[in-house]
Amino acid sequence: MTTLQKRIRARPGLEPVLTTGRMDLSRAAILALLPTLGPSSRLALTIREPGALLKVLAAYDGRSDALLILSGELAPDDAQALAADAEATAVVSDRPEIPGALSPDSVLSEGSADQDAVTRQDMETRWIMTTSGTTGRPKMVNHTLAGLARTVRPTRPDGLAPVWGLTYAPTCFAGLQVVLQAVLGGGRLVAPPLSAPIGDRLAGFAAAKVTHLSATPTLWRHMLMHPSSAKLPLRQITLGGEIVDQALLDTLRARFPNAKLTHIYASTETGVGFSVKDGLEGFPASWLNDAPDGIALRITGDTLWIRVRGTPSEYLGPMRLTRDADGFVDTLDRVGRQADRVVFLGRDTGVVNVGGVKVYPETVERVLNASPAVAACRVIARKNPISGEILVAEVVPMQTPENPDTFKAELIKYCRTCLPPAAVPALVRLADRLDVNSAGKLSRS
Amino acid sequence: MRNKIIGAFEASWREQKETEPPLLTDDTVLLDTGLDSLGFAIIITRLEEELGYDPFSLAEDAFYPQTFREFVDFYETHRPAQ
Repeated sequence: MTTLQKRIRARPGLEPVLTTGRMDLSRAAILALLPTLGPSSRLALTIREPGALLKVLAAYDGRSDALLILSGELAPDDAQALAADAEATAVVSDRPEIPGALSPDSVLSEGSADQDAVTRQDMETRWIMTTSGTTGRPKMVNHTLAGLARTVRPTRPDGLAPVWGLTYAPTCFAGLQVVLQAVLGGGRLVAPPLSAPIGDRLAGFAAAKVTHLSATPTLWRHMLMHPSSAKLPLRQITLGGEIVDQALLDTLRARFPNAKLTHIYASTETGVGFSVKDGLEGFPASWLNDAPDGIALRITGDTLWIRVRGTPSEYLGPMRLTRDADGFVDTLDRVGRQADRVVFLGRDTGVVNVGGVKVYPETVERVLNASPAVAACRVIARKNPISGEILVAEVVPMQTPENPDTFKAELIKYCRTCLPPAAVPALVRLADRLDVNSAGKLSRS
Repeated sequence: MRNKIIGAFEASWREQKETEPPLLTDDTVLLDTGLDSLGFAIIITRLEEELGYDPFSLAEDAFYPQTFREFVDFYETHRPAQ
């Protein structure tokens, strides 16, 4: 069993391993830590500080039954419910609002290498991660460190070790991939607080000479809007989590001519994905006959189906996977052919991606319909140059409002009180009636 | 045009924050004002509704304005002929 500590011990590369701007974490400091809780422990982690999260993961991987990695922003109720569902024996958190949680420092002790040999259990620790989503409780997915670290590539030995900037929460799938690549691949991870303004984060990245950066298309557009982005000495640009358009790829290519451009497609349903490196949106249509990385792709109906060698990630709890006779699984991502490319069009489930946050228009419609001022409504997605997509609400008011602008502003204010920011419609339009299709359902196109 | 954009900025600001919106000058870096990317995404959607066009979809190349002046100029440059 190659545990996280063993992998960190074997890593070549830069020191310190991780810097947040306020503190540095060296390889020796990570390796010196031992767990204070026993091998049957099963920890639920909701930790905001990336360095503290890394220390706990390194001390407990191989020495505990399971590590449930929860977002540091998760509501306390949800964190406790998920911890209970996963039968966690303790909750570890640096958030004062989580009742009964143990602090990261209290579950770690500094030990010697001798002690390390005694306490080492080398058991297979399950890494349980959660899916993102704006509605409902996140779903838990079982992983192993070996699986999560499969794409980690070691650093080139020519002194050009990568310096990775962390733009994602380290607890989400994309963020953990960056953490593992930087920490295990031999680079350095620069992780400024996610709450810091974009100008400060970019200045921190520039000062640390960040060469590798992975972010959503929305965040890339956001960074391009800030003058400090010009100072980044980027060699690798990675995009993922949303559909990547050609205009953004072209702008990044022009702004950072020395950087390689990679966009990543990852399917939550199948737990796998692939990367595209030719600077063009979508992927080559030839991959439908011959795909790289041990996967196979086909288009059935208008969605992409994917077949993986080995078994897909295991969902804890019910999760519908549609599989065909040849073992292909429906990704629910709609695709279309454009000459020799296959391009992504959106989700088949009706989910809308607003700046990397998944939103169901139906949820927003339910909220609007619950308002006594609303007789009927329809929420649709509209393309947006900053956030990819954004929501627009068409509302039939219960009675004609005296002042339409005030009415619209009040509705938006009401939505803000009960929906996450990305799910609040950018715009309310008033309508006399809404079109329905032949099945009597609201037409959304 | 300038005033319409300031109006949209201030409305979006007041929905997100309790404080008064900052004064926008030509050299103001949009993202240093404290409004986040969703705030600017909302402004663009509302300006399209008000002005009847979206310069970002009309422009041939992708453009990511950094200062307030660049933002206003972009809307002026791509204003469709009446």
